[in-house]
Amino acid sequence: MLEIKNLHVTVGGKEILKGLNLSIAAGQVHAIMGPNGSGKSTLSYILAGRAGYEITEGSITYNGEDLGAMPPEQRAAKGVFLAMQYPVEIPGVTTMMFLKSALNAQRRGRGEKELDAIGVLKTVRAKAATLNVSEDMLKRALNVGFSGGEKKRLEILQMSLFEPKLAILDETDSGLDIDALRLVAEGVNALRDPSRAMLVITHYQRLLDYIVPDRIHVLAKGRIVAEGGKELALELEAKGYDQIVKDAA
Amino acid sequence: MSSAAADTKNTVAAIGEKYKYGFVTDIEMEKAPKGLSEDTVRFVSAKKGEPQWMLDWRLGAFRRWGEMKEPNWARVHYPKIDYQNAYYYAAPKNTPLKQSLDEVDPKLLETYKKLGIPLNEQMALAGVAVDAVFDSVSVATTFKDKLNEVGVIFCPISEAIRDYPDLVKQYLGTVVPVTDNFFATLNAAVFTDGTFVYVPKGVRCPMELSTYFRINASETGQFERTLIIADEGSYVSYLEGCTAPKRDENQLHAAVVELVALEGAEIKYSTVQNWYPGDENGLGGIYNFVTKRGDCRGDRSKISWTQVETGSAITWKYPSCILRGDGSVGEFYSIAIANHYQQADTGTKMIHLGKNTRSRIISKGISAGKAQNTYRGQVSVYGKAEDARNFTQCDSLLIGGDCGAHTVPYIESRNPTARIEHEATTSKIADDQLFYCLQRGLGQEEAVALIVNGFCKEVLQQLPMEFAVEAQKLVGISLEGSVG
Amino acid sequence: MSNSSALALPVARREQAASHYRAMGVPHRRVEEWKYSDLARALGEEGFSDGTACWHIGPLPAGVEIFDLAEPNAPEWVRKHLGSLKESVMSAASLAYAQGGVALHVTKVAAGPLALEFSGAGHVRALIVMDAGASLTLQENLAGCDRRNIGVEIVLGEKAQLHHVRIAPVAAGAVQVEEVAMTLAAGAGYHSHYASFGAKLSRLELDIALEGEGAEANLSGVSVLGEDNHADITTRISHAVGLTHSTQLFKKVAGGNSRAIYQGKVSVEKGANGSDSRQTAKALLLSRQAEADLKPELEIFADDVKCAHGAAVGDLDADSLFYLRARGIPETDARALLIHAFLEDAMTGIANADLREQVRGAVNDALGRVSA
Repeated sequence: MLEIKNLHVTVGGKEILKGLNLSIAAGQVHAIMGPNGSGKSTLSYILAGRAGYEITEGSITYNGEDLGAMPPEQRAAKGVFLAMQYPVEIPGVTTMMFLKSALNAQRRGRGEKELDAIGVLKTVRAKAATLNVSEDMLKRALNVGFSGGEKKRLEILQMSLFEPKLAILDETDSGLDIDALRLVAEGVNALRDPSRAMLVITHYQRLLDYIVPDRIHVLAKGRIVAEGGKELALELEAKGYDQIVKDAA
Repeated sequence: MSSAAADTKNTVAAIGEKYKYGFVTDIEMEKAPKGLSEDTVRFVSAKKGEPQWMLDWRLGAFRRWGEMKEPNWARVHYPKIDYQNAYYYAAPKNTPLKQSLDEVDPKLLETYKKLGIPLNEQMALAGVAVDAVFDSVSVATTFKDKLNEVGVIFCPISEAIRDYPDLVKQYLGTVVPVTDNFFATLNAAVFTDGTFVYVPKGVRCPMELSTYFRINASETGQFERTLIIADEGSYVSYLEGCTAPKRDENQLHAAVVELVALEGAEIKYSTVQNWYPGDENGLGGIYNFVTKRGDCRGDRSKISWTQVETGSAITWKYPSCILRGDGSVGEFYSIAIANHYQQADTGTKMIHLGKNTRSRIISKGISAGKAQNTYRGQVSVYGKAEDARNFTQCDSLLIGGDCGAHTVPYIESRNPTARIEHEATTSKIADDQLFYCLQRGLGQEEAVALIVNGFCKEVLQQLPMEFAVEAQKLVGISLEGSVG
Repeated sequence: MSNSSALALPVARREQAASHYRAMGVPHRRVEEWKYSDLARALGEEGFSDGTACWHIGPLPAGVEIFDLAEPNAPEWVRKHLGSLKESVMSAASLAYAQGGVALHVTKVAAGPLALEFSGAGHVRALIVMDAGASLTLQENLAGCDRRNIGVEIVLGEKAQLHHVRIAPVAAGAVQVEEVAMTLAAGAGYHSHYASFGAKLSRLELDIALEGEGAEANLSGVSVLGEDNHADITTRISHAVGLTHSTQLFKKVAGGNSRAIYQGKVSVEKGANGSDSRQTAKALLLSRQAEADLKPELEIFADDVKCAHGAAVGDLDADSLFYLRARGIPETDARALLIHAFLEDAMTGIANADLREQVRGAVNDALGRVSA
């Protein structure tokens, strides 16, 4: 589904990713782990198409298409979803209103029929209940005044609503206590599907106790330096990044 | 020739004999001769079939206007207006008043349809009565019967001058005096039409009143005059909406709106102003110099202004409230969007004279392109305004680095028990907000419209339902091409 | 000092200033910037007297040079800067008609507070030039009950820091105008406090150009007015380049028939991204005849900025008053306490502890007089 080859990315003239290779098939969950400043967030932004992130070499192929050439909203319509580390606040725009606008924009982008307000409302309410997203949250302005946990739950709600093909979860565990983490992980696990690929980006191993990946890649200094099964996370936890990076060198 | 036209011709002829200034213009012509003189004033008055007192009033205004100077304190720049190079009266083809919609020019109805204006049976379902002004003359008025039942007068002001002279004499020019300002005085001299509303004591007007103004004739200044009187304990909501076809010439517009709320009465006045703003290079567009003022004359009266200003090359407009009655309330909710080379200088005045008066100002200014957007507001509390309260929130949003957003509030208090609070902020659409929306599949312009609508929400929710939807669309349309 | 000769300025420059002043005339209330302070009316027929107001300066610390502007042979730093900054009508008047004044050149970090006093009637000029990295705390006292117009120019080099505390005791019947123009280079800071207690008409106008990145202006002030006192603080801060900062905090208490005025305009020029500006003005009216007029203005030509202003006029918070009284504090004491608290946060910014105490003392005296 996703094929990244020799990817070099610069941000503000500085090279952050330096020849990254990664391949994910449908139905798989991969984890990217790495120390601070290794390029984890850059990877998530370049996949979603944020302005200011430039591919200088290499390619990203998504279902046979050149992902790097698409504007962000087209990627979203084609099923790329990025659950952000810091979901953005938009004052005055109610969460419900935003969900409806985004859902229908994606449907339009795919040439599908738009859903009416009642249809969206029903779908959202059903999904919101399982993620403990209250009616009140849906009425409030998007992410404004939400706690860290509320913001992350809303990200997962959007993921479940938009039914992406490639879901990227950027540091979804940051700022969550253990109960919130479990709730979010359950939400993610419920979305595991043979047709869907997931890329879980995290600094810590603890999220991977709940979302068990098929494969783990260690990112350091802009490259994948180690790969392995889920047991690699435990090794990382025990040895620390320094040692793994050194071993790999 | 229809009887109305014949009447007009006779009136003009009579005036022609009476005054040495008599003119030789053919009554059938649809435009007054170019330029502004006492003759122009007489022509307009005669065309309207006005009584002598009205003509005298206009002539008085015209003479004062000649002594006045065009104001220059607003942050707007435009080439000097040649008042002698404009037409002051234009009537659409086939002028006489129609008795039913069937008689209206189908092309006209087609235009209304395109603009989404419900001027047929659908209006009944929407509960909207429309007094449509097309190039200075009313061509259709509906729902009169329903209003008649409760005694609400809703008619073109020219008709009111004829049919309700006592009411007009009693109130016209009492809120905006003839010599209030250069543009208001000009309006008093040459106003061509507008709306008159009188809501009797204790009556709650059964429907939203709506008038759509259009400017269609090239080089025609529009001088609308609106007078709304809400008698004791009554309520009325009035909706004013404007759209204009695209054209290049700059067009002068100087309307005057006067509102009078007597004891316990409430007037809600909503505007969506979407006149031609000029093209993306700043060519053309309407010059909109408007004087709007409400007088809360009675105790516990309330006047609420809501405006969405997206059009016009130049907007010069300060809908204000004189809070005279004890316990009266004034509100001003405004969205002003300036894109490309538009210049908006708008705001309000809240003049607290009575005890326990309250006012609230929420202003949202959006600047994009190379536009300049200014909020100019005054809150004055006079010595007798015990326990007066004002709250003002004034927010500016900038889109791009070539535009300007300016805030000029005047806060004046002469009463120690009064409390005035003013807050202002300036911000931009953050890159991360935009990216978040794009990532969730919204297009660039859709995302901007969404974020800006969020920024404006407090004001949008003040609008009556029918307008809120149109206004939200307008916000998006007005900002097309401003990002990316 | 001597008052015999003309200001150390080319004749043509003086004449230019004189014609500027003549063209504009004495400002009155129909001049927008003087809407709330009708100088022409306050001066009446007499106008300002022709003489030059006096100045006195305390012992100079090391690193501060002085030049008497009435003396001939001005040094290069005076010739370069005198009359070089933005000129308002009244600063044109002082430039044209003052026959003397004082110029200070600060070359390094100078030990503290240097006292400068203005007294007497007429026009007078001051020039303060600070070299890169120099710093000074200046205490300016405005004395006497006269008609006086002070014109000040301040030039701050890179990273220069000027702490400027002005104390203007009540001067009933006086008409006192001080017009200050200044420019700040990169990293320079101007930290000003203005404690004013009113006159028939008193006005301080600060026109500040932040022209280098990292330059900042922090302005604060308190006013305590009674009787017929009138005090006007007018500021204009121009963020000419990016990454410049300004804060303003002015608190006013007005009793008697007094009038407290704040006009502040913050401009952010095109491209001055990363500028940050806060502006707060609050007034408390203590009597039925007092008046407060606030005009906090923003003029923004750049999008990546943080600008906010707040203004409020009112009486003491009823809840706070009730709370204090419920705890047994008599109403007059409770009111006094709350008025002090209202003014306090505008004084905490005075860096020099002695000066801060001096301002507090002056405020206490004035409150005793005004609220009695």
